[in-house]
Amino acid sequence: MTINNMESGKKGFAIETDERGPVVFGPVDGPFERPAEKMVEGNLYMETEEVVPEVAPRESEAEQKDAARKALAMNIDRRDFLKLFGATAVASSAACVRRPAEKAIPYVNQPVDFVPSVGNEYATTCGECAAGCGVVVRTLEGRPVKIEGNREHPISQGGTCTLGQAALQGLYHLERRKGPSIKRANRVDNLAWDDVYELLAKDFAGKKVGILTGGSTGNRHQFYREWLRAIGSSESRLYTYESNALYATMAQAHAIAFGFEALPRIDLRQVNTVVGIGSDFLDVGVSPVYFAKSFSEARSLKGGKMARLVQFESAMTITGGRADERHVIAPNAELITTLLLMKSLSDRADAKGSANAKAIARKILATNANVISGGYEAVGVEKSVFDALATDMIRSQSVLFAGGSHSFDDQATSLQVATIVVNELVGAYGTALMIDRGWMVSPVKAGDMKRFVDDARGLDALVIIDTNPAFTLPASFGFDALVKKIPLMVSMQTQPVETDDLATYVLPLNHYLESWGDEQPAAGFWSARQPAVLATTDSRQAEDALLWIAAHMKRPMPYSDYRAYIRERWKAVAALVDSKGDFDNFFNAVLRRGFVGKLASRPADSLRDVASSVKAAKLPAAGTLRLLAPIDVRLNDGRGANKPVLQETGDAMTTIAWDTWVALNPGTAKKMGLRRNDLLKVETDAGTVEAALYPLPGVHPDAVVIHRGNGHAKHVSKISGGNGVNPLALFAKATDAATGMPVTSGATVKLASTGKIFQLAAMQKHNDLANRHDIVKKLSVAKAAEKMAKVQNLDDVPDLYPSLYDNAEYRWGLSVDLTKCTGCGACQVACAQENNVPQVGREQVNLHRVMHWIRLDRYFEGDTNNPQVSIQPMMCQQCSHAPCEAVCPVFATTHHEEGINSMTYNRCIGTRYCANACPYKVRRFNWWTHKWNTIGDRLQDRNIRALNPDVTVRTRGVMEKCNFCFQRIRDAKHTAKVQIRKVMDGEIRTACEQVCPSDAIVFGNLKDPNSRVSKLRADGRSYLALGGDPEAKEFGLKTLPNVSYMAHVSHREGFGESLHSEHGAPGSHNTDAKTETHGNQEEHKGH
Amino acid sequence: MAHTIDASKYSNTVKWEKTISDVNDEILVNLRNPHPSFYVAFAVAALALLTAIGFVAAHTIVGLGLWNFAPPLYWAVDITNFVFWVGIGHAGTLISAILFLFRAKWRNTVNRSAEAMTIFAVMCAAVFPLIHMGRMWVGAYWALPLPNTNNLWVNFRSPLVWDVFAISTYFTVSLLFWYMGLVPDLATIRDRSKGFKRLVYGFMSFGWRGTVRQWYHYEAGYGFLAALATPLVLSVHSVVSWDFAMSIQPGWHTTIFPPYFVAGAILSGCAMVYTLLIPVRKMFRLEKYILPEHLEACIKLTLLTSTIVFYAYAIEFFVAWYSGNTYEWALFEKRATGPYSFYFWTMVFCNCIFPLAWWSKRIRNNIAVSFVIAVLVNVGMWFERYNIIISSLAEDFLPGSWGHFEPGLWEIVITIGSFGLFFVFFLLFCKFFPIISLSEIKLIMPKPLSNVHGGGHGGAHSHAKGH
Repeated sequence: MTINNMESGKKGFAIETDERGPVVFGPVDGPFERPAEKMVEGNLYMETEEVVPEVAPRESEAEQKDAARKALAMNIDRRDFLKLFGATAVASSAACVRRPAEKAIPYVNQPVDFVPSVGNEYATTCGECAAGCGVVVRTLEGRPVKIEGNREHPISQGGTCTLGQAALQGLYHLERRKGPSIKRANRVDNLAWDDVYELLAKDFAGKKVGILTGGSTGNRHQFYREWLRAIGSSESRLYTYESNALYATMAQAHAIAFGFEALPRIDLRQVNTVVGIGSDFLDVGVSPVYFAKSFSEARSLKGGKMARLVQFESAMTITGGRADERHVIAPNAELITTLLLMKSLSDRADAKGSANAKAIARKILATNANVISGGYEAVGVEKSVFDALATDMIRSQSVLFAGGSHSFDDQATSLQVATIVVNELVGAYGTALMIDRGWMVSPVKAGDMKRFVDDARGLDALVIIDTNPAFTLPASFGFDALVKKIPLMVSMQTQPVETDDLATYVLPLNHYLESWGDEQPAAGFWSARQPAVLATTDSRQAEDALLWIAAHMKRPMPYSDYRAYIRERWKAVAALVDSKGDFDNFFNAVLRRGFVGKLASRPADSLRDVASSVKAAKLPAAGTLRLLAPIDVRLNDGRGANKPVLQETGDAMTTIAWDTWVALNPGTAKKMGLRRNDLLKVETDAGTVEAALYPLPGVHPDAVVIHRGNGHAKHVSKISGGNGVNPLALFAKATDAATGMPVTSGATVKLASTGKIFQLAAMQKHNDLANRHDIVKKLSVAKAAEKMAKVQNLDDVPDLYPSLYDNAEYRWGLSVDLTKCTGCGACQVACAQENNVPQVGREQVNLHRVMHWIRLDRYFEGDTNNPQVSIQPMMCQQCSHAPCEAVCPVFATTHHEEGINSMTYNRCIGTRYCANACPYKVRRFNWWTHKWNTIGDRLQDRNIRALNPDVTVRTRGVMEKCNFCFQRIRDAKHTAKVQIRKVMDGEIRTACEQVCPSDAIVFGNLKDPNSRVSKLRADGRSYLALGGDPEAKEFGLKTLPNVSYMAHVSHREGFGESLHSEHGAPGSHNTDAKTETHGNQEEHKGH
Repeated sequence: MAHTIDASKYSNTVKWEKTISDVNDEILVNLRNPHPSFYVAFAVAALALLTAIGFVAAHTIVGLGLWNFAPPLYWAVDITNFVFWVGIGHAGTLISAILFLFRAKWRNTVNRSAEAMTIFAVMCAAVFPLIHMGRMWVGAYWALPLPNTNNLWVNFRSPLVWDVFAISTYFTVSLLFWYMGLVPDLATIRDRSKGFKRLVYGFMSFGWRGTVRQWYHYEAGYGFLAALATPLVLSVHSVVSWDFAMSIQPGWHTTIFPPYFVAGAILSGCAMVYTLLIPVRKMFRLEKYILPEHLEACIKLTLLTSTIVFYAYAIEFFVAWYSGNTYEWALFEKRATGPYSFYFWTMVFCNCIFPLAWWSKRIRNNIAVSFVIAVLVNVGMWFERYNIIISSLAEDFLPGSWGHFEPGLWEIVITIGSFGLFFVFFLLFCKFFPIISLSEIKLIMPKPLSNVHGGGHGGAHSHAKGH
């Protein structure tokens, strides 16, 4: 059996190997055998003609239009919806070819390739951010029900981030606009699309029209340019904006240093030392999933070695939480820190890099000599640290990542330039950073914001496409004032946003799951986007709308729709990969796989003289509080805020859901007499916001951290409206000179208590390990390497009972690597989507009634100024001796012969004894029937259409919990049975495993000694939670879980040795890190 | 323990100056116009009950989420009340069954009301497991091993199933025992009333005529039921304690729980008997029947069980420390010093420290002081259950899932409502049934023709011989 004949690379579409070694840019082949794909006998359509079902007799165009209009006008109920979508989606995307099939076809004429209740999967490209991850959308009866990373796609490698995972809630969002509208004088009228085209064609005729849009690496921007030219405007009037300024600053810095705008592509597999200076590459960064995958690879303990992460930061980020060595630096001292590191590197004779680079470094250091001399003290890190780090970086392979969303100040581009110089000095270019081959394409043009501000006054009309600058730009940036001067504004958005308020026309756009498109994350590497469903509301694809407008202006572009444009452009891609066959065949095959390409190469550039671009400002003054406003991992810049599943995922470090909090060093808070949940008035020259305090260990004493993402206007969404505050209101007008990007960190703030208390919805009430040793086990690298060499049998526990699994064919198990887990929360979102886990809203979160089947426990340990952070995903441990099973009076929870604690939902009577008996507290009780469209008084956008039909929806009074995605196990076993074989390793991936960007979770059959999970369980680093210390013949609770954890391994000094003595007696509360267990009933009493 | 009380000693000291007809007249005075305070008490209890019924109805319709408890506390005040009321129920059966078998004569004046208390307390207790499930219509049906087409059976490994059996058996036996004792008295009432009342009481007394043959069967049956009820006194609360002890929660998973719970139950039951007797004695002017000696005997039993409970508390701590189990010891340490220490110390003071005052005979016989202490013991016993449930669940194994609980409106209203339920039934009992067992009082009265007027020795003795 061929496992995957697309893998071989001979067919012309695979990514070529790199001469530097094994496949550099391709699916990482991980520590294990590549698991089997779905086994399907026969050809994989790569070279065969597509078989497209002829679904209905063709009708005249008028009839078709009429039918379509009727279908859309119908008040469709669920059943009809299913039928209609089942048929139309299949017709439109069966074999990934869109055909104009607009007739509802009952299942009696079952389309080819379509079996009710069997999912169809379509490869497409995620459109939630500009990273361009490849995803696979599973549709059932024509409805997308789950998004997963495309495992072959080199960017996502099977993972997605929280935002990408939640896209379905965007697709089915109940607040999406139902049709276009126009604002006239003082009323809003609904329009038909035809009228929109007509009106806009008139409005745009002969006018200076501009387009402001979000980042994209694909053909979208090129299309806009061509459109602008076609309608008689100028190509230069396309402006791109991403609130993640890392794109613009990095692109700009590379333009300065190497002469072309790009982001380096990373490859951390061979890297030993990763240094981050104010970096958030695991949080948001430029491509969070790709970075996490690569970093995870670097963090695999291979041959007793694993990469070390040294992080300098002033906020407490997910990246910092993973660091082996973390130094807390003063806010906005990133550039100075980089210079100090550059100095230590430059001082060493054995520094790598060209003589030219060294000379430039010396020049930069000379220019900034005054800052450097006082730098150590101002930054708060001793010189010896930098010297040691420099030695380490030069001796091993290393790379520096600098800058992140919490450090965007007016030196952001300088910081990137300095970083380039440092990376030259450690020889990172060519090993860890690629700019000469398959470099990352920047989704935005560096100077666009500056150009926009300059040009806006002269524009007659502005089209804003799927970006929300009214919210994501600081108010002081003056976006409102700028666009008010433009006579006509058109806002095209997939969901209602603040920017709509400024527009005359508000046009609803297709969700990316309803759209055509492409992305080019790395130069020469193309990722295709195709619709997985027909538009669910009366929306259009932006590009199609523009085409129609151009047509109405009598200046048509030569494409019938955007798909035709993409096809046209992709002819070049076909040529690039030497596809010689039929283009249709090529195009369809690419859509089937999701991507294609051949990495572009260019001669390596030498570093230009960038000395003049790096000029550090004066040293940061100690003792003044400064504001940092990072982009939230879950909500991003606010685009995820209207998705309850993201709101409820909870921040990794604070575990706060739904709210905006002010993170402050616990010591500073204490000094100021402030306590957790105190509502603070945060005041700067530019504005004031009120938010509650969360004393967060690890934050620099001078830093005040308020995440972006929340604080949306009330009318925009019932989900996000009124939640939290937007810290961008606090920044006075300032921009990074090189890119024109607004400054979002460093504002001097005053904090004052309002005297009020606001109960932040923090999901975890206790924050340290309370002196317990068998929950999170920690090992130093040396110890881990020693343990790794030993094989252990965790199930070898003295036991009175016979083994439960002697007769079963499978015993399902899960392994969670605590070294790799970053706490990003993607697993929680994936689990919620897969298993129909409801969101409960902030009031219920405050009561601890979250329904997450997988909890992310976060523990701080040690110094409150610089704590060790451990994150532990805690899901049902599927104990072999399950305390929950024995106590259920009605056998609602029973042991499955394959090792799973099954729940029989409709047998459960709700005594909740099982949950009390569970030592891991992973069972979740339905205190209410969670309505599928409301959370308390909030509208919930979890549309009933988005439910996974494979999983029962639970009502109140029923206990639920993780069941290892039993529906997936069942499906795989069914497939295996049909094919008369056993389920293969890797064939079943639980939702959490599948999504994990860090590959921390592995699922499989424990009966098979060669399965990945068996090997991990036998690894000496593995342990069972609450399983005592088997080496000392102490077996803890003896629950014998089928979930095993791999100890948290770190290079941190003294890691794995007890830090508990400073906490005093067992179970005592840590003084500052402790967040006291307030009564959390205030909000709830109203019920 | 009960045999340490010399039964004859009490009957010796009782100075009866009543005739049999006095007994009938004075005890059955409650059937006529009760003291006005009765109506006030009844109105308050009924109001509390009705309010709680409203709340329970609301949570049954809307969802359990209305209560204030939440993970990690999947049980809170609901099960606290359940255990509390089951515990209260214990003294009744102890007094009526075990003390009957040991021939402790002092019980004869208090057993009727104590048994009634048992019945009503068990009813209150049974309400909570039902309503705490949120969907009682499912729970009440599936928790029972009823035959069904799916061949679904209950899980006999689950202590909750044992609970169902234990409580229902206990309730049935207690009810039979109580009602059997009532039959001769109901016949007495029948004989003294007219019209419709006579019909009802006649119906309830099953044609009792007081013949020797009937008395013979009565005595045999009563003795048999007493023997049957005796092990139940020990088993029911042992089973209830297994609800906790069978799980592996620190603070719950301990072998001392069965005896500790039984002792605690008797402690709370006796204290409740005392708490009820004092106002009832006043309200229905029964001071001449429920004599200070009887009350003192009740207190002595309370004091005994209080010391047992004190010992259990101490040994629980010792074992937690001695086990070397981090989780166990951390929990006990936190009970005494953590956020729930108020409840813990209230429990210790009310159940162990205050009752120590009863070592003094003067205080024992000071009804006012003893009443206060008895009420405090009841409070303490409620807090004991609260303490066991809340503090064990709030902070158990994984610090990441720790939570906190304070009772909210629903908990408070429904708890008060359970007292309402209890008192509504108890006051109805006081109004329509003889509060003191007429027939048994008559047994310990001096023989009418005895020369030793007012002396009980001969009477009691001869009665004993008569068996």
